[in-house]
Amino acid sequence: MIALAIQMLRHDGAKFLTMVLAVALAAFLTQNQASFLVAFLSMTGSQIRDVREADLWVMEPDTECFDQAKPLKETAVQTVRGFPGVEWALPFLKVDTNARTESGKLSVITLIGVPEESRVGEPIMQIGDATEIYQRDSAVIDPGGMSLLYPGQNFRPGMKIRIHDEWLTLRGVSMASPPFTGFPIVHVSHATAMRLNRAETRNTTFVVARLAAGANAAKVTKEIAQSTGWKALTREQFEAASWKFYSDQGVPNLFYITITVGLIVGIAFTGQTFLMFVKENARAFTTLKVLGFTHPQLAVMMFAQASLVVVLGLSIGTAMVVATTELAKTLPFFRGLYLPWEVTLTCCSIIGCVTVMAAGMSFYKVLKLQPADVFRA
Amino acid sequence: MNAVDCQKIEKSFGQGETQTKVLRGIDFTAAQGEMTFLVGPSGCGKTTLISIIAGLLGSDSGSVSLFGESLSSLSARDQILFRRRHLGFVFQQYNLLPALTAAENAAVPLFAAGMNRKLAVKKATDLLGALGIGHRADASPRLLSGGQQQRVALARALVHEPRLIICDEPTAALDHKSGESVMELLSSSAVHPDRAVVVVTHDNRVFHFAHRIAHMDDGVITHTESPTTQLSHH
Ligand SMILES: Nc1ncnc2c1ncn2[C@@H]1O[C@H](COP(=O)(O)OP(=O)(O)OP(=O)(O)O)[C@@H](O)[C@H]1O
Ligand SMILES: [Mg+2]
Repeated sequence: MIALAIQMLRHDGAKFLTMVLAVALAAFLTQNQASFLVAFLSMTGSQIRDVREADLWVMEPDTECFDQAKPLKETAVQTVRGFPGVEWALPFLKVDTNARTESGKLSVITLIGVPEESRVGEPIMQIGDATEIYQRDSAVIDPGGMSLLYPGQNFRPGMKIRIHDEWLTLRGVSMASPPFTGFPIVHVSHATAMRLNRAETRNTTFVVARLAAGANAAKVTKEIAQSTGWKALTREQFEAASWKFYSDQGVPNLFYITITVGLIVGIAFTGQTFLMFVKENARAFTTLKVLGFTHPQLAVMMFAQASLVVVLGLSIGTAMVVATTELAKTLPFFRGLYLPWEVTLTCCSIIGCVTVMAAGMSFYKVLKLQPADVFRA
Repeated sequence: MNAVDCQKIEKSFGQGETQTKVLRGIDFTAAQGEMTFLVGPSGCGKTTLISIIAGLLGSDSGSVSLFGESLSSLSARDQILFRRRHLGFVFQQYNLLPALTAAENAAVPLFAAGMNRKLAVKKATDLLGALGIGHRADASPRLLSGGQQQRVALARALVHEPRLIICDEPTAALDHKSGESVMELLSSSAVHPDRAVVVVTHDNRVFHFAHRIAHMDDGVITHTESPTTQLSHH
């Protein structure tokens, strides 16, 4: 019975192919856009996650995300250190500035200062040794920065970068997580960052802190916030806040549009083609009814037909997404791209269910076929 | 007991002003071991009558019983199962599924009954052999001539050994020679002491195959005759 159903489907190769490709297109577009969206939004937390040692982030109340931060006053560190449940607290200095190279390439960059004594926030390295940033006039850059400021070049020891009026020497390439902004991430020592930030009066973008063993994060953040008026967030809360900030800016809307279009186009095409398939095979279905196929049997047949289309389409579409994701990941700015299994599961479930439902509507046509019409030409 | 026993069948189509009464009290019987022809002018209601006999269409009044079983007493599902087990069909337009081979087409009633696919196709292939088109068993229907297609359809009507075979104009789409040979096959392979064959036809060149001929006009059976040529075989 199922073999019969599949034979009927395969016999109409053009429609079969159209339906499979439509499902594949929907699976590709939705998963591709959804994984881009998830990857981009999770990049809003990249620089927060990269400070692996910090449990708490303290900031001015106006600060909503990592990238747009209003600095705290210099005494903030001492204040945070005074709270019970805080094991240690350090100033975290992030400077948004410009850089240029010897060849004249220019870019806005995100400069991060790492304190030499604690080494909190030190990057993991791809090339070179992170401790070299504590030498005078030294820096390391992330892969995105390399490709933006030194296009087509491999890292060479002794490469220079000019920040404000100072030439720093690049000591290596870090594996800093890809930033949402796409700006190069440059790590220097805290001392160097302070020096380059001398035009500003405040050098504490955030206070990062470690919870003491056994301390309750919710309680500590609440106490800090209440008695200082600052915002105190756990790492997860800060990541979520950054995610929300960019979501609220409308970043996802473009993705939602493409996802919706992908779903509608794919499903409409498949549903319409399936309906045409059923209409053109009306005579065959009527004959099957007359020869003793029951409605449940015909339902199983059509379910098998729809399922085959869905399974093939989803497989092809997902394979295409995996391939493009892997390809895109080789580009420095897309290194944070990945295909979460939740995205695949959600997209495939929705497309699968809706396509089978569309096939169900075609089944209604089969239900309505009049057996007596079998004698009519 | 008659294989088919229709009493006072009435059937109208349409509503109100456009309503037309197509069957006006039909009494019709068909016996096992016989080939019964139903003949009459176009539009007189032949197809409507056999649709009702086969349970494909409901009647407005009257009763149909097949082998003593009243169709209307069966549930919709049981009617289908009854049809699957006991009825075979031959259509004017063959109604073969283009996606299937000749043998698979002939095996469709066995598929419906849930028989193992290999076994069903084997059985159908053997039957095609007996009907003289074994060599075309793996061919697609569209590569077959009309006569060959109708022989595949005949195999499909016989493969599950039904007790009643209903044919609507089986030779109308064929030239005289193929029509004649299809009728010959039908009378030699379908007629069986336990089986009744009802054939609707216009084609008076094949009347000599009938055991009995029921003449129909404007929704009633006008008279029934038994051609002597066939009676002599009895
Ligand atoms: N579903 C239907 N709705 C309305 N009218 C119908 C329907 N089916 C049949 N009729 C009408 O009923 C009458 C008898 O039709 P039927 O097909 O039974 O005749 P027939 O004897 O088989 O004719 P033919 O020899 O041309 O096949 C015709 O006038 C036809 O138009
Ligand atoms: Mg007719």
